[in-house]
Amino acid sequence: MEGENALNLLRSRICDTGFIFKDSSDTNYSKLKFMISTSVAEACNNSILLLGPRGSGKLAVLDLVLQDLLIQYPDSISVVRLNGLLHCDDISAFKEIARQLCMEHQLLFSKAASFDDNSQFMVAVLKECGLAHKTVIFILDEFDLFAQGKQRLLYSLLDAMQSVSSQAVVLGISCRLDADQLLEKRVRSRFSHRKLLFLPPSIEDSQRLLVHMLTLPIDSSLPYDYAVEFNKKVQNIIEDKRFKEIFNKLLNFDSSVKHLLKFLFYAVSHMDLQTGFLSRENFETAFTNIQRQPKLECLKNCSVLELYILVSMKRLEVKEKSLCNFNAVMKEYKNIHDSFQTSDYYARNVCLRAFEHLLHRELLCFTDNRGHSLSVEFRPVKLLISSAELHQGLKAYQSCPAILQKLVERDG
Amino acid sequence: MAPSSPSNTASQLSSTATENDLQPFFVLHKASPRRKDRTSAGQGKSRKRNKLSPRLPHSAKKQEESTDEECDRYLCQQQQIEAFDIVWTKIESTIKDVLRELNASVFNIIQKWVQECFNTTRLVGEPSISVATRSFPVLSNTTPGKLYSALVVTRNIEFVDDIMTFEELGIFLKSHGCHVAMLSSMEFSLKNGIAGCLKALLREFLGNSFDPADISALASWYREQENYNKPLVLIVNDLERCCGSVLTEFILMLSEWVIKVPIFLIFGVATTVDAPRNIFPSHALECFCPSMFMLVTPAERMDAIVEAILVKHCTTFNIGHKVAQLLRNYFINQDGTVTSFIRALKVACLLHFSMEPLSLIQGRILVEDQEGSSGLSPETLLKCMHELPSHARNIMVDQTNESMAEGLSELVTVQKLWSTVVLCLYEAGKYSRVQLLDLFCESLNHVLYPSRDSVMSDEKDHGLSSTNDPFQQYSIMQSGGLICQIARRVRDLPPGKLDQLIESWDKITADISEIHEKLKILQSSVRCQDGKSSRRSSKDINKRCDKDSRMSNLQAIAFLDDLVRNYLRPIEGMPFNEIFCFKNVEKLQSVLIGDPRRRIQVDLLEFHNILCCSCCNKSGKGLLPSRHDSSIMYSLAQEHGDLINLHDWFQSFRTIVLQNTNKRKQKSKQTPLSKKRKEMNGSADQNEASIQARFCRGITELQITGLVRMPSKRRPDFVQRIAFGI
Amino acid sequence: MDKEESPQIPRRTTRSLSTPSTSNIVPAAKVNSSLESLTINDLLVGGDPVSLDDIISSFPGRSSQIHEIVRLLGPLNSPLLPLFVYGGASTGKTSIILQLFRHLNRPLVYSSCRTCYNQRILFESVLNQLLLHSKNAANCYANAKRCERPSDFVNFLREALTGVINNLKEKSEKMISKKKVHDGKTGNMIYLVFDNFHLVRDWDKSSTILPLLFNLYDMLKMLEVGLIFISSTSPDTFYTNMGYVEPIPIYFPDYTEGDIRQILLRNQANQKLYSSFLDVALKPFCRITRQVGELSTALKPLFEKYCEPLSDKGKGVVPSEDMKRRLFNHIKPHIASSLNDVFKVSSAPSSEVETGKQTKHQGNPKRSERSEEIGDLDFHMSTSAKYLLISAFLASRNPATLDASLFDSKGGSDNRKRKRKASEKALEKKEMLEEELLMKGPGTFPLERLIAIFQCIVSVAEDPADEDEQKNEELGAQCGSGSLMSDVLLQLSTLCNANFIFKGKSCPIEGSTRYRSTISEDLVLKVARSLKFPLSKYLYRS
Repeated sequence: MEGENALNLLRSRICDTGFIFKDSSDTNYSKLKFMISTSVAEACNNSILLLGPRGSGKLAVLDLVLQDLLIQYPDSISVVRLNGLLHCDDISAFKEIARQLCMEHQLLFSKAASFDDNSQFMVAVLKECGLAHKTVIFILDEFDLFAQGKQRLLYSLLDAMQSVSSQAVVLGISCRLDADQLLEKRVRSRFSHRKLLFLPPSIEDSQRLLVHMLTLPIDSSLPYDYAVEFNKKVQNIIEDKRFKEIFNKLLNFDSSVKHLLKFLFYAVSHMDLQTGFLSRENFETAFTNIQRQPKLECLKNCSVLELYILVSMKRLEVKEKSLCNFNAVMKEYKNIHDSFQTSDYYARNVCLRAFEHLLHRELLCFTDNRGHSLSVEFRPVKLLISSAELHQGLKAYQSCPAILQKLVERDG
Repeated sequence: MAPSSPSNTASQLSSTATENDLQPFFVLHKASPRRKDRTSAGQGKSRKRNKLSPRLPHSAKKQEESTDEECDRYLCQQQQIEAFDIVWTKIESTIKDVLRELNASVFNIIQKWVQECFNTTRLVGEPSISVATRSFPVLSNTTPGKLYSALVVTRNIEFVDDIMTFEELGIFLKSHGCHVAMLSSMEFSLKNGIAGCLKALLREFLGNSFDPADISALASWYREQENYNKPLVLIVNDLERCCGSVLTEFILMLSEWVIKVPIFLIFGVATTVDAPRNIFPSHALECFCPSMFMLVTPAERMDAIVEAILVKHCTTFNIGHKVAQLLRNYFINQDGTVTSFIRALKVACLLHFSMEPLSLIQGRILVEDQEGSSGLSPETLLKCMHELPSHARNIMVDQTNESMAEGLSELVTVQKLWSTVVLCLYEAGKYSRVQLLDLFCESLNHVLYPSRDSVMSDEKDHGLSSTNDPFQQYSIMQSGGLICQIARRVRDLPPGKLDQLIESWDKITADISEIHEKLKILQSSVRCQDGKSSRRSSKDINKRCDKDSRMSNLQAIAFLDDLVRNYLRPIEGMPFNEIFCFKNVEKLQSVLIGDPRRRIQVDLLEFHNILCCSCCNKSGKGLLPSRHDSSIMYSLAQEHGDLINLHDWFQSFRTIVLQNTNKRKQKSKQTPLSKKRKEMNGSADQNEASIQARFCRGITELQITGLVRMPSKRRPDFVQRIAFGI
Repeated sequence: MDKEESPQIPRRTTRSLSTPSTSNIVPAAKVNSSLESLTINDLLVGGDPVSLDDIISSFPGRSSQIHEIVRLLGPLNSPLLPLFVYGGASTGKTSIILQLFRHLNRPLVYSSCRTCYNQRILFESVLNQLLLHSKNAANCYANAKRCERPSDFVNFLREALTGVINNLKEKSEKMISKKKVHDGKTGNMIYLVFDNFHLVRDWDKSSTILPLLFNLYDMLKMLEVGLIFISSTSPDTFYTNMGYVEPIPIYFPDYTEGDIRQILLRNQANQKLYSSFLDVALKPFCRITRQVGELSTALKPLFEKYCEPLSDKGKGVVPSEDMKRRLFNHIKPHIASSLNDVFKVSSAPSSEVETGKQTKHQGNPKRSERSEEIGDLDFHMSTSAKYLLISAFLASRNPATLDASLFDSKGGSDNRKRKRKASEKALEKKEMLEEELLMKGPGTFPLERLIAIFQCIVSVAEDPADEDEQKNEELGAQCGSGSLMSDVLLQLSTLCNANFIFKGKSCPIEGSTRYRSTISEDLVLKVARSLKFPLSKYLYRS
């Protein structure tokens, strides 16, 4: 019962980005807060880029900052959020800006408004806000996507900020460290080059994060002694050196916060609800299940015939045949059969079906994208699996014909 | 090409200008009004007794006396037209019935199949409304449902015949309580993609079209009371022509909804049953639960039609041997569609009625009003009669109407006999897979007659000496061809089948007395044979009875031989056959296998063969400005290779066009068309402009007729010739 | 827990169907009488409740995956990071997910990216379900919202989701107030399921939609929303246009032979007999394919064969050893044949008779005495079309350089042979290259070449060497070779329509189009035989 509650708590913690970075002594947090608050306080314009790999909590930190600021200056900040994935084309971007501004200031937003209307509206509102000493904060997520095309949005935003009256902050968030290099000259000249670099946490930090995430609050709905017990167990697990090496492996693979969270989520959700405590096994299973090797899995799924086809394709590659399509593969397949008298030699159409299976499994793919003119058996294909993988896969495959392994080893 | 005034008038004059298509040739010539009427009158006459009298068309005195027969020829034409309508409508309706009852059985089977499939899908379970309109598939432990699909094999690569068939199938299924949608391969094109065919599907079922066509709309439509509990049938009548990838997508999508929307596919497959295997990838094939249905082969259809129209004679209209062969070869070599065959037949019919004044009698015979006074005066009728060569051939002492009458009646009886014999042969031929079409052609061949008699005569002496085979005494065993083949087959037919055959003969000949009694004799003899063989003791029964069976076969052949020798006489040989029998092959062929591209070239080059006007005639091959521009240009183009330099071309054209005006400067008086030249000759530059304009128009016309291709981007100053060699 | 649950489900559904006024209902639905207006409960899978054990038992070899998913979905009201369920075709991904939701009795919004074949329809179908919109005649089957742009979608989605979630919340409050047992609740979570997700990759090459859907969770920032992607390809196939951390993977491997055996046994009348059948048949088939669907379709007719010797089609027979042996000997030949068959067309039983009759009559109407050997070319083609087909095949098959040596306009056979020999050693050189060419498949050719070859062939075919050719031609004397030539373009279009010749894009009157014959060799051989045409003479490397 309390186990379930604890589980719910932990899961919601993991899913809630706000919690993760709370009181994590992140320097970026303070820097960012300082920048924005000054620009709000001094009623000046500003533009900042938050750069860093995906899942390093750029947006999360920013949100925290904004939360604080909204409490600090309740009525002199209005936020406009854009996302490069949604609003990378100028029309929808301006529309979205207009919409959010309208909502912010209880104005009536008309869907029918044209592009120019919206852009003019934005400029006007910026002026008004400037006069009212209200800072408009534009958050451009996936900043690099805004930088493709004619960058009219960026230009008009930054251009509007040149005017003394206006008062706005533009925050670009991107995972491309060269995001500012993407900007056109006219845009870059108007851009104040403040950059905040977000780096994935060091091992210590992530361990700290781990603790921070997994320790249950002593003072909460949860029964006290359970919580204490739970935390002790978690502490033991973290101390455990087998766990440590798993943890290190994980971080070596990908040390971003998001990846860590995924790991945690998986582990936590495998928590045994009867006892209601985490165990090291949970983390081990989580680790194994998150690190997957899709190609090898695919190979395990293949039928014997499909393996034959793969191997004969591999042989073609080794022979450096200029083109490789189904007919060529069939010829090779036949050669193998003739030279080794294998038991499974099947009719052409069956092989074709197996071939299509491989295409669906994406172990093969067509090299030409224009199909239609040629039927499948003539279109050139290429392998999507390295010979090493193939070799490994064949080894792992139980009841794999010995001849295939021999062939692959011979080709090396 | 822009029709110039003469063509219009010509078409007014000749209501039957359709069959000998003269219009294009007029266009080639800017004839002066004076010449026009003469030529047209000439055609009029030449059209009337066409190929009967190759008299030279225009001589002055003929024109005068032609005026009075002008009027009743007009009357005659009217009646010929309506006679044609009567006859053709009869023929058409007969064909329709034949085809329908050919398809009926298959349709019934298909309908049963649909019903069965529908019941089986219902067995899987009827989802409730809320479930069925939901987005996710119905949960069931069984393996995923399959799309029941019928492959209707129309064994003809040409698709034309089957359009009608599938439409009728659709109507048939509708009438049996299915929702039917007909999609063609147009909907399954790569360009429109999956959205296109879904849109079409919804339009077919729901009626109105949707912007984002979504199959869930279909699902919820199907759950409305009035639509529910009926199978949905989707007919795609030409599978091969569909774009495979799109169709695959479509199929997979349908398979997701298979339980909620019980939709059954009917594919028309033109070629082979494994055509789907070539079109669909394996994972799409998985979705199918296919079953195959066969339509009748075009050959069978053809036989049915021939039997109904030309052998059993639903009308009195008939065709000659050569024509029959032309049609047959056209069917076999050109395009093997029944449709085109029917069209050819129609053309033949039309030609016949328009060329043969007396043919309007047929209309009468059909309508059975003999007393209706023939529109045209009896003497003209008589005159036509005398002009019939067959009539002329067998010299008759008196040329009165009763001789005519009995001639006609004899004609009819002979025809009846003939058709009966053909049917008998066909019955026998069924055992050796003889196509009726071929048999028909052979049996129309009246050249066979003398040969048969001669065979009989010489057979007498050497037949017995050479071979002691009793069968050899019958001429049909020697005369090559299908009939002989059939006879051979009959010779070694096992007794059981022979009896069947004789039974069928009995049915056929029931109403023809003279043949029927012969058959009776045959039957009785065969019976007594059987009686004897049955009374035989068991020891020597086998050799005995097979001898007996050979005896009966022998008699059967004797019967056939007798039939062939005495009754298989096509009416072509008879007097007055022209009335019923159409024999003009050349015309039909020229209409049927027009080979238009070649024809156009010919007409452009030696047009003066067709319209005999003074100026062109005397000038022979030389290019005159009086010719039509496009013809001038094309004959100029002959000098170039496949690439024609526009500039040179224009220059030569210009010189030709202008040469005549220069000539006019020397010679004072000239043909009337030089008058035309004068006003356009007013100012030089305007003349230039007009020449260029004519040149351009000429090129465009040549392009439209598909003789040249417009200059390409790469070589802007060259046109390319597309058609070579006549 | 299911005992407690069972009284609830019917009651809930009945209420949902009877009282059309619970929460935000699309006004159009009121107008319509045939359909009850939808309630929040229609987001549940519904049906009778199933216990987890039932599900596990009904999906052999899937228990680990099922447990994993249940754990990841977690207890009631616990948020969820996006899941990515992947595995080969017909491995029970979709049905297991649905069954689990039926078991857990939580609301979900399911949309298959196959039925929703582009982003607009996907958006609108998701919104339809969230807004409890039902299409009907009254609203002429229109969607609830019209939404094409991703930006609009996200806004609409946010609104709709908040609406639904509030709806759920107050519902669960109601239950608590009604002192309902804890398990009966549907909870506050709403799950969006995207099936056939791999198809999204080929939607738009600009590929904005894929990152959008993957990022949807972060964009919405709603803890009550869970995303589940079901794909038949592994996550790494999405990397190309997904440069971010992928959701939590759940892998469905293909069934092992044992699993397949159980699945096939699942609903069989006579288990014993069938298992003895599987002992014989399953192994060889599993070497070819391991997809349940294909296997079941392949085995079904085979099993009928297997039962044939038995009296009552094998109802309630307990196979003894020798019977098994007998049956095995009976079935063995069939297995081998059906192994190499992918697509069986069962001609409808009633039409069997038909087909039999047809095959007797079919054949080339031209020369009936040949019909028996042409029996295998079972569709009608005009002679000129046949010749054209052959020439197209030759044009695609032979290198253009050899035309001169293979064909000559006079077409005397002896003459041809000599030429062939002369060019023999030249051919030897290009051996390897030709090999390649053959592999590469049929080549393309311009119209002119096709017609040239066609003319040669026709002229050869009609030379009086072959006497019955002559016979047939003298029947058609008045329309001889010229007529065969007459409408080649027509025949060509026919062949293109019949999918025998592939035509490049542009108008046929212009020579610029290139053609390619896509017809299989044996079909050509049939056609050639029907014409008594010496194909092999012309075929290079036949």
